[in-house]
Amino acid sequence: MIIENILAAFGEIATAKTLLLMLVGVAGGLIAGAIPGFTIAMAVVLTLPFTFGMPPSQGLATMVSVLVGGLSGGLMAGILTGIPGTPSSVATTFDGFPMARRGQPGLALGIGVWSSFCGGIISAVLLVTLSPQLARIGLEFNPWDYFMLVMFALTITASLAGQHLVKGLIAGVIGLLVRTVGEDEAVGMARFDFGSDALLQGFDFIAVLIGVFAFSQLLRDVRDPEAAKKSLTDRGAVQVKIEHMAAIREIAKRWTIVVRSALIGVFTGILPGAGGSIANILAYDQAKKASKHPEKFGTGIPDGIIAPESSNNAVEGGALITLMALGIPGDVTAAVMLGALLIHDVIPSPTFIAEEPVLAYSIFIAFFVATFMMLGLQSFMLRVFVLVTKIRVYMLAAIIFGFCGIGVFAINNVEFDLWTLLWFGILGFVMRHFGFPLAPLILGVVLGNIAELNLARAMAITTDISPFFTRPWSLFFLTIAVFSALFPLFQAHRSRFKWTLGYMPVACFAVSVPLFMMGGIVRPILGVIVVAAGGFVLWRRARDGWRLPEAAGQSYVEGG
Amino acid sequence: MGRLRQDTVIAIVLLMACGILFWSTFSIRVPDYGQLMPSTWPRVILGALTLLSVIYLIQSLRQASPPVDEYEQSVPGAPPGGGLIGWLRHWRNPIWCFVMFFAYLITLPWLGSLIGGVLFVFTLMGVLGGWAPRNVVLHAGLALLTVGGMWSIFTYGLGVLLPAGEIFSPF
Repeated sequence: MIIENILAAFGEIATAKTLLLMLVGVAGGLIAGAIPGFTIAMAVVLTLPFTFGMPPSQGLATMVSVLVGGLSGGLMAGILTGIPGTPSSVATTFDGFPMARRGQPGLALGIGVWSSFCGGIISAVLLVTLSPQLARIGLEFNPWDYFMLVMFALTITASLAGQHLVKGLIAGVIGLLVRTVGEDEAVGMARFDFGSDALLQGFDFIAVLIGVFAFSQLLRDVRDPEAAKKSLTDRGAVQVKIEHMAAIREIAKRWTIVVRSALIGVFTGILPGAGGSIANILAYDQAKKASKHPEKFGTGIPDGIIAPESSNNAVEGGALITLMALGIPGDVTAAVMLGALLIHDVIPSPTFIAEEPVLAYSIFIAFFVATFMMLGLQSFMLRVFVLVTKIRVYMLAAIIFGFCGIGVFAINNVEFDLWTLLWFGILGFVMRHFGFPLAPLILGVVLGNIAELNLARAMAITTDISPFFTRPWSLFFLTIAVFSALFPLFQAHRSRFKWTLGYMPVACFAVSVPLFMMGGIVRPILGVIVVAAGGFVLWRRARDGWRLPEAAGQSYVEGG
Repeated sequence: MGRLRQDTVIAIVLLMACGILFWSTFSIRVPDYGQLMPSTWPRVILGALTLLSVIYLIQSLRQASPPVDEYEQSVPGAPPGGGLIGWLRHWRNPIWCFVMFFAYLITLPWLGSLIGGVLFVFTLMGVLGGWAPRNVVLHAGLALLTVGGMWSIFTYGLGVLLPAGEIFSPF
């Protein structure tokens, strides 16, 4: 059965038109990712209007290609100009740019390209193997659990705003509110339409996404009149030839870094809200900590390029795992992918892989194929990148504004969507300026109706709200949502307040409760492990006399 | 505008918006069926937003306002003062983008996507990049090529009926 589905999916992808579109998608993604200020999410969002006229598998394959290309494109700008093309490739510049300046730009690019390829392939393998397993767990979810899962996704995304947790939460709630405008999905009553027929239809969420993300980003890019008139060439781009064989040899010597970083990337991608921007720094940091010569990091060593590039390409595999298995997007780009699925009347859920196996496997295969295409196209696109670097920022921005003006209309053939684009572009720009993170807003918009529908279903089953707190999965998501919301406070107070000493043990004990409630064998065993971990931390704290970390450190010095 | 005043103003605006929207939830029709009333979910959201806005307001009032110089250094490209003229000068490019896009939307029924789009991209490039003769030619070529290309892809490739505009509709 699986083989049949894979073959059918392969048949969908392996058509000349689809492969050509994928090739164009990878090429476009590589260029978009390479241009600082033009993010991967923006590239994927802008691809969306083109795909609505295509069959679902073709449209999604094209978008996956843009995504894969974008993830790898950031390294070109980062290594050659020292300016990361995307936030996902910030850590690549730490060693990539020094290596390029030392006279080895071809080797640096080669290492980056092949690390990206390896990270992408590892994450594609995990995507294929883990998604069906996670979907099986997802089948256990009831409306209460789904509602809490959405709340958890929003909370953890907001908590990534760190010190600005409140702003992150406000952004997430505004996203939920935006989705309530128009007819409600449960009973079809008008809400917040203020007598307007256009508002009664609600805001098209693709127009909202493009406005909030792409439009506002473009406005930021052209804010400084002098910088807007510059091109990347002014910042020192150079033409080079990628040294493939030397790069493969360097990576083969450091395969453990590749595997570890890819796993970090996949895990970060699975977490809602945490994307490549976190994964590349995390992987770089881990590579440095595990290295025998950490002092060489930052001077232009291969390890410093391999770690971030393997991890950032693995992130999307992780984000797609939660999207395909649970219908919950792991990050902004996965949220756009969710939008693409919805455009084609496909609603991701735990039954998605079982009910739409050919489409699901098409996405898996597209991810693999696009990763290989990325490898083949890098050398060629490097030349195009050098040409693109000559274009002024304001020109690119104006062209993309023009594209927004046509592309957004094409989604529904409704002029109101263009007004939505403008107003949400302004909202996104203002929110960015005042320090409100946009990722929670976008996830709020995407997940708003999922939350409401599941709340309505839960209320239809029983008006008793206790299942939100007594069902194991619901309680599990509620517990981790509460502790993830408290995490920024814990970080801010760490080493200063004694209550922080109890944070980790209490979190472990609290999380173990729903695990024990789930029954079976594996989950209670996991519960025991979590309790043991919490108990161990508690014992260490007690042994140290409940001293804060710095004070405890001093006592060791004094004692030693 | 100092950070204190800025955050406080945003919090107050948010609270006012919550009040208006909460009031408008009372005009949502109540059907005879369904357990979850159409107004319940928006009220839950508005309740949460109100609570968060109050916390934000309290936080902004408790934080000491940083000296103006410090604030200006902490926010790269912050308006250096100079009143309304200085503010407009600082934000002129984003304002131009808004105004041009607004003009594009207003004129869309007459000019249509193709002419309107080409004019929008050409004018925006001129406003942002300058009107030197060499630039004008380059901008015109780029606008025609890119918008024309996109228009062709959507119209002929994807079969999308983009607004033709009243100027073009007789043809």
